[in-house]
Amino acid sequence: MVDERASDDPLARARELSLAGLLGALGLLLPIGFHALGWGGRIFLPMHLPILVAGFVVGPALAASLGLIVPLLSAALTGMPPLAPPIALLMSVELAAKAAVASLLYRRLGLSLWVALPAALLANWIVLALAAVAAAGFFAIRTPPLRYLAAVMALTWPGVLLQVVAAPAAVAVIERRVPRLAARGRRGGP
Amino acid sequence: MRGPELYVRRDSPLHRLDARAKLIALAGVVGGAALCPVRPPWPALALGGLLAAGFALGRVLAATVARRLLPLALVIGGPLALSRLGGEATRLAGETFALKSGLIAAAFLLLTATTRAEDLLDAAAGVPLLAGPAGLAGFILRGVHLLGGEVVRANRAWRLRAPRAGARVRLGALCAASVSLLGRAAARSERVGAAMALRGFQGRLPPPPGRPLARRELGIGLLVVFASLAVAGVGRWL
Amino acid sequence: MAVSPAPVLRVERLSYTYAGGAEALRDITFSVAPGERVALLGPNGAGKSTLLWCLVGVLRGSGTVAVNGAVLAPGSEAEVRRRLGLGFAEPEDQLFMPTVERDIAFGPRAAGAPPEEAARRAAEAARTVGLAGPLLSRAPHELSSGERRRAALAAILALDPDVLALDEPTNSLDAPGRAALAETLSRLPCAQLLATHDLEFVGRLCARALVLVGGRLVADEPLASLLGDEARLVAYGLAAPREG
Repeated sequence: MVDERASDDPLARARELSLAGLLGALGLLLPIGFHALGWGGRIFLPMHLPILVAGFVVGPALAASLGLIVPLLSAALTGMPPLAPPIALLMSVELAAKAAVASLLYRRLGLSLWVALPAALLANWIVLALAAVAAAGFFAIRTPPLRYLAAVMALTWPGVLLQVVAAPAAVAVIERRVPRLAARGRRGGP
Repeated sequence: MRGPELYVRRDSPLHRLDARAKLIALAGVVGGAALCPVRPPWPALALGGLLAAGFALGRVLAATVARRLLPLALVIGGPLALSRLGGEATRLAGETFALKSGLIAAAFLLLTATTRAEDLLDAAAGVPLLAGPAGLAGFILRGVHLLGGEVVRANRAWRLRAPRAGARVRLGALCAASVSLLGRAAARSERVGAAMALRGFQGRLPPPPGRPLARRELGIGLLVVFASLAVAGVGRWL
Repeated sequence: MAVSPAPVLRVERLSYTYAGGAEALRDITFSVAPGERVALLGPNGAGKSTLLWCLVGVLRGSGTVAVNGAVLAPGSEAEVRRRLGLGFAEPEDQLFMPTVERDIAFGPRAAGAPPEEAARRAAEAARTVGLAGPLLSRAPHELSSGERRRAALAAILALDPDVLALDEPTNSLDAPGRAALAETLSRLPCAQLLATHDLEFVGRLCARALVLVGGRLVADEPLASLLGDEARLVAYGLAAPREG
């Protein structure tokens, strides 16, 4: 029961924050569910899906914050992903980049989801490769970034496929239940 | 809905210590682990002993620690084992990786086992740069409870209606329930957002009510920082 | 000759149409005097909740809404919302802070009250609704549904509104819970607008009734005369016809 024409800033910000919170909660719950079902959390990347969806429904700053926070919060609550080795930190930066790029292209610039989605995935991989090299440097390990990236992509392609299939559907469901999200790009919106 | 939370409900001196003091101590231990050399081994053993004392003070059982750290065995042990196949530099890198990762993982486990997530977030909210993210994290935690309840109810409903459902039916039910849950969550988030605005939300969550960090507790945190850095520093440079 | 006090809530020709074109409210006009308790009745889908959302500007209707002199318009929503406290049908949607105490104190803190003042107002509001002290430090999801409803009400009362508008306030409350809520509401000095199907509940509290049917205000009269006219209650969809 919302009115997409109501443009009160605090109201819009509050709704955005609330939606981000719920998607972040899914980012915590989905991995638990996947692990409980034994469905290969590391392969299907369950945490990535809600954060990517958040990138399509909230503004860039909030989306990036969500990407940064959720892996760290999950690490603090459940121990997964681990903080040491710094897998949680790597996930933080890659998810932040993915969500921010998705939001910038889809919400701010109003581009098609089928442009924003691959761009977000590309941003994810680039940032992940750079972050991995930096983290490896902390442990005095020399890692060729492309080789690392190739290994990650080979392992996690089911998760990428899940995002490509499920994220657009999830965005459609959310936009149907929250009509104000239809306004984006030049038409306004978060 | 209970997930595999790390927090161990106890009444111990460490549980009662202010979360901010524990965060300061954690920073010291992480710094010490970063500086700590692999050889000689005594600085690492000293830091490990400090952490073990922490677990004892927090009345966290050794079995709990082992169970919680076990999932990291592959992530840390794998590279260590692989490094043994390389030259001296590679072996040293592997040992460094395993040592630092193990110490830092144990330090984080000690913090999260003895501190509630809400208290950690409140402590973080006291730092100006972290106030926003800490507020968002609080919302996420609240969302976990809201959604967790819905997931449990949905799970119960379809189990009652189809207790002996095959894999295909289960998968279909899971997809349908996920779509429904997502839509309901989105609609619910709109109402929660409206509730915030109706009570005066202007874009920033009010900071948590805070009391100043007691000197004694600050002192404890700083003592751990000093001890960790001193042990690692002496081992590295002397 | 006694002069009627200025209304604390004034609604003039309020209309609202959903984005899809469905007309939800048409030309609603009424006012509420200071301290008056009014029942807002109507069958499901009549527009009661929509009307309440329009009063606080979450839905933007056409027409005029004024709360204690503050007219609802772009830029004045915050002031109107401070003066008109809205209770949701689902109290869980209104509890979003880590603890009940912080939830109740949220409104005063957001309004700029210092922490001590906000805590004092929160404690007072909690006492008003009968929330026991130990419950205040619990997380909202740890409360029973009745306790959550009281916590949500306290969160609204902490802002000291001039008008209290409640949507289905007796949802999921048992008989003792309804009695306790009625007793609490009867002690509050603010004007109240209670949107509900629970005729017995409002019969105890309200002297006047507004009836919405199909988005239109079809009756504005003393509640007692409405409750005594079974034919009209059935016609308005407020009661089921007797069998036989």
